[in-house]
Amino acid sequence: MSESTSTNTPKPSSSVKLVLLGEAAVGKSSLVLRFVNNDFQENKEPTIGAAFLTQKCSLPTRTIKFEIWDTAGQERFASLAPMYYRNAQAALVVYDVTKPSSLTKAKHWVAELQRQASPGIVIALVGNKLDLTNDGSEASGEPQVDGDREPPATADEDDATGEHQEDHDATPGDARKVSTREAHSYAEEEGLLFFETSAKTGVNVVDVFTAIANAIPESSLKNGRGAGAGTGQTTLGGGRPAEDSRVNLGDRSTATAKEGCAC
Amino acid sequence: MMQWSSFVQKAQSLIDPANFTLPTLTASDHNPSKASLFRQQFRLPDSQNPLQEITAELILPIAHTSSSASPGDQLRNLDRAGNRYAGRLHLSERFISFTTQPTSFATSATHSTSTHWAGQTNGTGPFGNGFTIPLCCIRRVERLNSLSHVFSLALTTWNGALGKQQNPGFIPQRFTIQLVGSRQACERFCDGLKKGLRECMKEIENLRVVVNDCYSEYLLSGAKSKAQDGDNVEVRQPPDAGLGMIFRYPGDARKLRDRSKMRLWGEYFRENGRNTTLIRQPTFHKLIRVGLPNRLRGEVWELSSGSLYLRLRSPNLYTETLSKFSGRESLAIDEIEKDLNRSLPEYAGFQSEEGIGRLRRVLTAYSWTNAEIGYCQAMNIVVAALLIYMSEAQAFFLLSVLCDRLLPGYYSTTMYGTLLDQKVFESLVEKTMPVLWDHLTKSDVQLSVVSLPWFLSLYINSMPLVFAFRVLDVFFLEGPKVLFQVGLAILRINGEELLDIQDDGSFISVLKSYFSRLDESAHPRSENPKLRAITRFQELMVVAFKEFSGITHQTITEQREKHKDAVLESIESFAKRTSIRNLGPDSKKLSMDDLGVIYDRFYEVLYEHQQMERLLDEEKKRQEKKRIERTSILGPPVDREVGRVGLGPSPTHMDYNAFRDFLAATAKWAVGDALGSSRKESTTEQNLSSSRGFGKSLTWNNKSEAADHEFMQRLFRNWATEPSEGLSLQNVVNGLARLKGPRDIMNNINYFFDLYDDHGNGTVDREGILSMSEALLFLSRRGFDGAITPTQLLEEAGERDRFEQDKLSTDERFLGSVSSFIRRCFEYADPSNPEGKPTTKYKDTDTTEATEKLDAFSIGDDDDDDDDDDDEDLIDVGDKPKPEPSSLKKQDSDTQHNRSTSESANPALDPNNPLHITLPTFRMVILADELLEQFFDTFFPQSFRLSDQSHPAARLSSLSSNLTTFSNINAAKPHLIAASGATVAGASGGIVPPGRGLRGVLDNIVSDGIRMAAEVKKRMDEAQRELERNALIRPQEDDEEDDEEDYDPRSGTSVAPAIVGGISSWGAGAYGADPERRSVRETDRDLLEGAEVVSIHRKDDPSLLDGKDGHPHSAAEGSGSSYPRQQQGQRSSQRMSDSHNDGHVVSKVEFES
Repeated sequence: MSESTSTNTPKPSSSVKLVLLGEAAVGKSSLVLRFVNNDFQENKEPTIGAAFLTQKCSLPTRTIKFEIWDTAGQERFASLAPMYYRNAQAALVVYDVTKPSSLTKAKHWVAELQRQASPGIVIALVGNKLDLTNDGSEASGEPQVDGDREPPATADEDDATGEHQEDHDATPGDARKVSTREAHSYAEEEGLLFFETSAKTGVNVVDVFTAIANAIPESSLKNGRGAGAGTGQTTLGGGRPAEDSRVNLGDRSTATAKEGCAC
Repeated sequence: MMQWSSFVQKAQSLIDPANFTLPTLTASDHNPSKASLFRQQFRLPDSQNPLQEITAELILPIAHTSSSASPGDQLRNLDRAGNRYAGRLHLSERFISFTTQPTSFATSATHSTSTHWAGQTNGTGPFGNGFTIPLCCIRRVERLNSLSHVFSLALTTWNGALGKQQNPGFIPQRFTIQLVGSRQACERFCDGLKKGLRECMKEIENLRVVVNDCYSEYLLSGAKSKAQDGDNVEVRQPPDAGLGMIFRYPGDARKLRDRSKMRLWGEYFRENGRNTTLIRQPTFHKLIRVGLPNRLRGEVWELSSGSLYLRLRSPNLYTETLSKFSGRESLAIDEIEKDLNRSLPEYAGFQSEEGIGRLRRVLTAYSWTNAEIGYCQAMNIVVAALLIYMSEAQAFFLLSVLCDRLLPGYYSTTMYGTLLDQKVFESLVEKTMPVLWDHLTKSDVQLSVVSLPWFLSLYINSMPLVFAFRVLDVFFLEGPKVLFQVGLAILRINGEELLDIQDDGSFISVLKSYFSRLDESAHPRSENPKLRAITRFQELMVVAFKEFSGITHQTITEQREKHKDAVLESIESFAKRTSIRNLGPDSKKLSMDDLGVIYDRFYEVLYEHQQMERLLDEEKKRQEKKRIERTSILGPPVDREVGRVGLGPSPTHMDYNAFRDFLAATAKWAVGDALGSSRKESTTEQNLSSSRGFGKSLTWNNKSEAADHEFMQRLFRNWATEPSEGLSLQNVVNGLARLKGPRDIMNNINYFFDLYDDHGNGTVDREGILSMSEALLFLSRRGFDGAITPTQLLEEAGERDRFEQDKLSTDERFLGSVSSFIRRCFEYADPSNPEGKPTTKYKDTDTTEATEKLDAFSIGDDDDDDDDDDDEDLIDVGDKPKPEPSSLKKQDSDTQHNRSTSESANPALDPNNPLHITLPTFRMVILADELLEQFFDTFFPQSFRLSDQSHPAARLSSLSSNLTTFSNINAAKPHLIAASGATVAGASGGIVPPGRGLRGVLDNIVSDGIRMAAEVKKRMDEAQRELERNALIRPQEDDEEDDEEDYDPRSGTSVAPAIVGGISSWGAGAYGADPERRSVRETDRDLLEGAEVVSIHRKDDPSLLDGKDGHPHSAAEGSGSSYPRQQQGQRSSQRMSDSHNDGHVVSKVEFES
């Protein structure tokens, strides 16, 4: 993935500091790897302290450069977390849909962020390992959670899909232990973005980052080097419809998702 | 054998009992810091203490450089003096050590002489020149016949002599030490040495095992060359020198000049001894600086870190640990398992089951020996790296030294060591490179996010492996300062580029690309071929150890000390808010402040108890006069710090004794009756101003002893989910939340009832009822703080002066209430017999009746006639000894009639008839009594004092609190304010005049109980005694309290208005404390940011190291002085003026090539 795919006229670009938090082994690093390299590895070096990666995400009106801090998940590294979420404008709080305790931990992180991180931080709650559930295994490319719809800017519009998920919960062979409804309603209460993803299959991964990019208030963006300040301001509203279709493309398969985020 | 027996003979001849005037071991115990400095200096195990020391001169024989020289020549050489080193000779239980560093660890030594070695190390590291030899390695000690005033000893070691077959021309290692000191001092030292030698003789077998694992033995045994010749039948297998032997060592051995390094080491070993008997001369340090040869790397790491000495002490610990815990599961093992496949995956050995198996076993074994650390990510990487060069057992012991000594606190559950060293590193960067620091600060780049992995995994996953191992070579010898020196050098070398970066991303990529080019020439365009040959890595080493030679162990220690509190506090505030947040839904019933107070108190008590237990333990051992070798030679150092949440895993459960202390800190009634408790509490409560944060919030309770009462035991059992484990924070919070959360009298009554519902079937039997009444008395014995106020005192006094009850204090009246509580409980109790069905029905009607009846005299408590009847019944039933007449007071005389009637009405009182009350009955009885009702409505939950903020009364009347000077505590029921004076008077109930005093009333109740059942007597007497003790022991204190409250003791009753004043002052005190506490929490929250701000402000400090460095090095204008950055403008010339190379280093580089 290179930056060559970006359009000829340079869009305003700004960088966003994003931090990943969550219990150990929920797939934080894998999510990032999927997003940054569109890759998936079974064995990766463990994250010591935190790993730092960057990835650009091209929106119709601007380019967001994510500076991603992927933190270590082991419990004792938690005390290092404040160092990483300091000044973060966005956070991905990840849990494992097959492990209820990881949602509890995720809630703790959300609470921590809401109280300690910079005000206005955009938090996305992400249930990973969707591939281990029936929703994930049935149709690997087709996202189940959001269907053909735009990823929710805030997670308040998704009741229908929630019900849809519930139907699947009892199916045998399904490793799902955290229902979409439960996580969703929590996300709604707390005003979080909400997604269920699979880093393995790529489902919804790019959507998470795109949704975050869209949710970052224009005013809080620090502009990257060389980019004109505030030029993207007025276009945000108009950008939405276009965003819609682009995201749909991204939903079809992971390959197109790559394009969706021109990096 | 000859030598052995001669040694024994010699040893025996040296033993002279008259000389046994050794300083006792305890002398050094008193000085743990010196002992630990001593251990640090020589990298000795924790069991070692400095016993003897003396100035001495080490005289080494002339090196037998040419192997062609005949043995006779060499023997002659032995007696000719070669290198001489002046220094100090130290003796511990198992080691004799010599160092050229002028250090002293004697008890008489000043701190500075003990720490001096840690100062300017001149690149030699804390080791200095000299030796550290286990006493068991010494084969023979001879006193040389020399000039009478010189005391010289010739030491012969087992160096090379432990193998089965000896080389024909074998020459034992022998060197001479001249002791410099008074004859007496020399004798004393020799005596100590004799004793030590005798005791260590038995360790020779261990020595044999350990030495056998050392590659140096194999190297020098000549087996290697024989194996190469291929004609020797008995080819000795080389010892395990790590996975590298199977999977190749990283890097190109040719490029690393492994072979010549090996030769140099072989030569050094031959001349200076090997492994345990190695003598450090300057070449040793140089050889390490240029990088160790692959096969010796593990052994030299083991030697220079001191882990060899641990292995020597118990060579089989590793295998024993593995077999002992074989098959067991643990959280650490789960965590280890997750990381096994991702530890140095680029190394072939860790893609194989062999390598992964070794890694698994070492990490698992260590997690068992040090459960406090268990497993921390990054350990997998470090151990994987070690395993390339050493055997499993070697890696196991070295890991232990790493975790406990070299990287203290790095891998602990709070990782405070890691965070602390990051702070230290940042402050060093700020000092040495202020310009860069400014830039990083301005660009909002947080240095530690980059440098943390450097330290945590010892550069292993930052640099290419070959280079990381070079850093490790020096690190194990010279200690943690090396990590800082290298880190600083990295930043300095990349200083120019780093000044251009704008954000974390570019910062990281600059360093990443630097690390990837470490093998390139540092001066690719230089004319000088020698210069061109210098790699970036060599440059890095030069800058690290020359330019930053000012960064010493001392520097690090000082900086750590300086930042420690801030780091710990930030960890603790994080831990606190996290664990409070994780307490679950029940905790939401309590305010954040309350939870904070509970949290602080909980850990305060736990740590106090932990401390106490440790002290007791030590005391016990001391009394047994047994010198305890630590059972496990691994694990955290004995003198390590404990007692803070931030330092590592905390105790999680409190036992009953700790719980008592917790309650004593929470509720007045739980404070014992020992001297000086309640009084102290109230004053300090008022001067709370100094109390801040965790660790100090409980000062007011420090001197009070916790009470012990059955009620507290019941609370303990009720709160604990698993009483045998004790109470967790969660248990305590839940317990308090149930009580303090819903402000509802019914809840409180139920709660209390539950405590006594032993069988969980909703009933409380006779025993329970009696216990309840005792508990009520117990809870009330420190007064009510105004929570309970009989209405008629204020409103109906004068109107109803039957039995002069208006003159009774609240306490007295409460005693009455309790008395009638017992009575009524028995009156309305249900028989617990199987055919109880009809009775239950009867009871229902009875209850309603009773309620009506009770309602009728709900104000009048025990003085009502009917109640007296009941009293009578109580008296009647029991046929126990009469109470002492003196204890029968006025009330007693009122209860002398009407026995027979109630006897029939109360069959339940027959001890032979088991009976019980149910919750509805209990409620009814409580609600029937105004004081008891108030007790449960306000006092009971209120008596558990947390942050004060959540006081129910305060909530109800926050408005009025602004308008009055009175405490909010009483404002809830404004009509009670005046009356509450009586309550406070009651608090000092011990001095109520005897005629109508508290005791009288109590006695009355007690006697009732006595006559009713034997247990009652027993327990009530206890309660009474307690009260008596109360009254007798603390009269002065009570006086003081009274003064404060304007209470006139003579009157025997309280004057309401005056008391109000007292209340208000108390209340003001309590509330004065409140904002303070709140603000403390505010600072807690800001600690993280606060710490940063502090460090930013400090940047204006004059740069210490800049100044220091400038001179010595700029003078040493060596041949390789053209650093790229020198050409790069003026921007940083000030801080880089000292970045010249010097001749010494170049020579080192040459040494390698």
